[in-house]
Amino acid sequence: MTLDWPTLLPLIFAGLMGLAILIYVVLDGFDLGIGILFNFADDAEKDTMIAAIGPFWDANETWLVLAVGLLLVAFPLAHSVILTALYLPTFLLLVGLILRGVAFDFRAKVPAGRKHRWNRIFFAGSLIASLAQGYMLGVYVLGLDSGLAAMAFGALVALCLAASYAAMGAAWLIYKTEGALQQKAVRWLRSTLVLTVLGMAAVSLATPFASTRIFDKWFVWPQMLYLSPLPILSALLFVWLWRQTFHLPKENDRHSIVPFLTLAAIFALGFAGLAWSFYPFVVPDRLTIWQAASAPESLAVILVGTVFVLPIIIAYSFYSYRVFGGKAGDLTYD
Amino acid sequence: MDPLILSRIQFGANISFHILFPTITIALGWVLLFFKLRYNATGDTAWMRAYFTWVKVFALSFALGVVTGVTMSFQFGTNWPGYMETVGNIAGPLLAYEILTAFFLEAAFLGIMLFGFRRVPNRIHTLATVLVAGGTTVSAFWIIALNSWMQTPTGFEMRDGVAHAVDWWAIVFNPSMPYRLTHMLIASGLTVSFLISGFTALRYLAGDRSDSMWKALRTGTYLAAVLIPVQIFVGDQHGLNTLEHQPAKIAAMEANWHTGPNVPLVLFAIPDEKAKENRFEITVPNGASLILNHSADGVVPGLDQFEGNHPPVFPVFWGFRIMVGTGLLMLAVSWSAAFFLRRRRSLPKPLALLMVPMALSGWVATLAGWYTTEIGRQPWLVTGILKTADAVGPVAGSHVALTLAVYLVLYALLLVTYLGVLVHLALKAAKDGDTSPLPGVLNAPLSQPAAGE
Ligand code: HDD
Ligand code: HEM
Ligand code: HEM
Repeated sequence: MTLDWPTLLPLIFAGLMGLAILIYVVLDGFDLGIGILFNFADDAEKDTMIAAIGPFWDANETWLVLAVGLLLVAFPLAHSVILTALYLPTFLLLVGLILRGVAFDFRAKVPAGRKHRWNRIFFAGSLIASLAQGYMLGVYVLGLDSGLAAMAFGALVALCLAASYAAMGAAWLIYKTEGALQQKAVRWLRSTLVLTVLGMAAVSLATPFASTRIFDKWFVWPQMLYLSPLPILSALLFVWLWRQTFHLPKENDRHSIVPFLTLAAIFALGFAGLAWSFYPFVVPDRLTIWQAASAPESLAVILVGTVFVLPIIIAYSFYSYRVFGGKAGDLTYD
Repeated sequence: MDPLILSRIQFGANISFHILFPTITIALGWVLLFFKLRYNATGDTAWMRAYFTWVKVFALSFALGVVTGVTMSFQFGTNWPGYMETVGNIAGPLLAYEILTAFFLEAAFLGIMLFGFRRVPNRIHTLATVLVAGGTTVSAFWIIALNSWMQTPTGFEMRDGVAHAVDWWAIVFNPSMPYRLTHMLIASGLTVSFLISGFTALRYLAGDRSDSMWKALRTGTYLAAVLIPVQIFVGDQHGLNTLEHQPAKIAAMEANWHTGPNVPLVLFAIPDEKAKENRFEITVPNGASLILNHSADGVVPGLDQFEGNHPPVFPVFWGFRIMVGTGLLMLAVSWSAAFFLRRRRSLPKPLALLMVPMALSGWVATLAGWYTTEIGRQPWLVTGILKTADAVGPVAGSHVALTLAVYLVLYALLLVTYLGVLVHLALKAAKDGDTSPLPGVLNAPLSQPAAGE
């Protein structure tokens, strides 16, 4: 491989897109997860849960826009192939995101009697969006196959991804709340963690067995050795987190962000594994990142902007999280 | 049904629903900044009450803008794969810059603007308002640049059927872009000013005479009265620009079937494409020649020049008339309301009653204008480069039909709820008047909020 711009640019953009997807999954993961847990909370808790994500969810969703945007602008061919193959699940995802986003605002502004309705819609929207994402992931892993087996597998991944989002949501609540709700969140975390493990195991096993190409990437010596930290570390983190859940919350609420960060690390490891499996393809076994990429000069124009703007975006995102740091109270327009 | 026509309806429905909300947020951000600055300057809490009433509308419109916008960014791939394959090298960077420079900025500072009043110093809160308003405007800049480029493409070359950029400056500032951007930004200002004055008129009719009511009413009415003549002028210039670059669109807008001098201005007609003539015509002699050429014997392009290659006449003709008609109505209403507010310091009841439905006039004119623009570009998706029919994706018609039906139902429900909430908020504000609780301003340096806050 020669390292000239036409080779490097698609690679850089694949990396950026992966980063955007990962950030999205972690950040909007906890928003969607809290939406899923919404149904199991009482009215006062619901308000606190909303307050825990209120100032952030919009910026979090923007990472999805960036990810899809990068797919669209850097790999237009792949964008078309993937989104037309996943036409209906994409549609469900969008409906879910629409419902979730508007319910968020409507529930606080409609006459008091209608609030319940929008609470239910918030739950439903979050659940639909999470399931749709999981389903899309499952079908993508199997190479955009449209057979019955792929659909069943998609359904399994859908359930597990929804559960792992719920786990992220619970971990975020442990960080942002206190008292009875925090206790409840610990229990939620424990029950959803089981399904999260199952999901990650399912995807990790299915990917190599669905494609001999991917199998050969993982199970050859010495690659196997270099790659072994990924599964081992994930497993260790899971076990550690599981044991932690019996001691939460800590005295003085110390380290209450740790469960969330641990889950985020697990997501990142899983994601790295997937990225390794699929590289160099954007559409599994059909289009490589070089075949699908836009013209280098257009990518260069985008890259210049990205290099300048991305650090600024990250800086002000941190600032916003700092402003709304601490435990969530009532969310009012002031 | 044919996936092409379904995809077009679906895209049209989605973008029409999307544009309703950015149209509000683009200008409302600046109006909120105005309220905030007045408050900073005068310390008058009525300004802050006006701010808090309208920031709720902003939040709601923004949320709807975001969720429908996310839908838009998927739609390119699901419905128009041929589009990105052909002009992706141009459209891609423009869309990417919109996301990078606008969407994140808005989204991150929106939280502070909406919920941070007591958490950050007052100056930072004002800054957040500036950044959000600026972000929405930058967003409009990029997307209008793209849309205008699709209308009047420049600064590129075709290699193997794919557009490649050669001059980014020429691409962004393509011939129709300055006109379209100005016209759109003012359209947004008008939409918001009529929305504000309309909903405040509702408060007025409900008996509210509070300070914050008067402040909002005056702001809305005066802003509208100032913007509408500017908009009419800019619209005229925009039309001249279109005459130069997209004459077929002008011919359809004027329903002019034959190229020639002394073309009348058609006020009313039912264009008949089969017979190539207008039925039930009401005209002003030489009108179109005068408007487009500033002389009675100026030559106006006719549809006969573009046989088989011009847009459908009926929707373009009527879209344009609805927009201009709404503009003229806006002029009449805003000037008489401004007159009464300045001279009489009151509002006659019939005028207030008329202002309530006029709250939505901006939406009507904006949609009508966009339909003129977009349908007027047909059969081209990108003028001279890509035909709409060549961009459609391979998705089955039944899938498109199913999703379209669900979108339409969903949008109808959301629109009804949105308007219901606005009325609810207006009536609530009317009831509270100037007694609604007001949060204190924290001028202390940034501090972590205490637990439980
Ligand atoms: C409040 C909204 C509003 C109002 C009152 C007007 N317009 Fe408009 N018009 C728009 C909102 C708009 C718009 C939605 O923003 C459009 C669609 C695309 C664009 O750039 O602006 C538009 C497009 C548009 C076009 C189409 C240009 C093209 O695509 O080639 C022309 C010629 C005019 N306008 C002219 C006018 C005139 C002469 C008006 C006089 C009353 C007027 N507009 C009032
Ligand atoms: C500025 C960004 C915009 C872009 C990039 C854009 C792009 C497009 C594209 C790709 C199509 C599909 C092809 C076609 O059917 O012609 C289209 C059609 C259409 N657009 Fe836009 N559009 C924009 C703004 C708008 C707005 C704001 C509206 C309405 C309020 C609108 C209304 C329509 C309609 C009604 C059609 C269907 C026209 C037809 O099929 O006859 N567009 N536009
Ligand atoms: C075809 C075209 C379009 C696409 C793909 C698109 C995409 C989007 C997306 C993804 C968002 C959400 C951003 C976020 O997450 O914060 C958004 C918001 C926005 N869009 Fe569009 N959009 C289109 C057309 C338009 C048009 C025609 C305008 C106006 C002239 C516009 C102006 C805005 C503005 C101001 C916002 C931010 C504020 C708000 O959401 O209310 N967009 N758009």
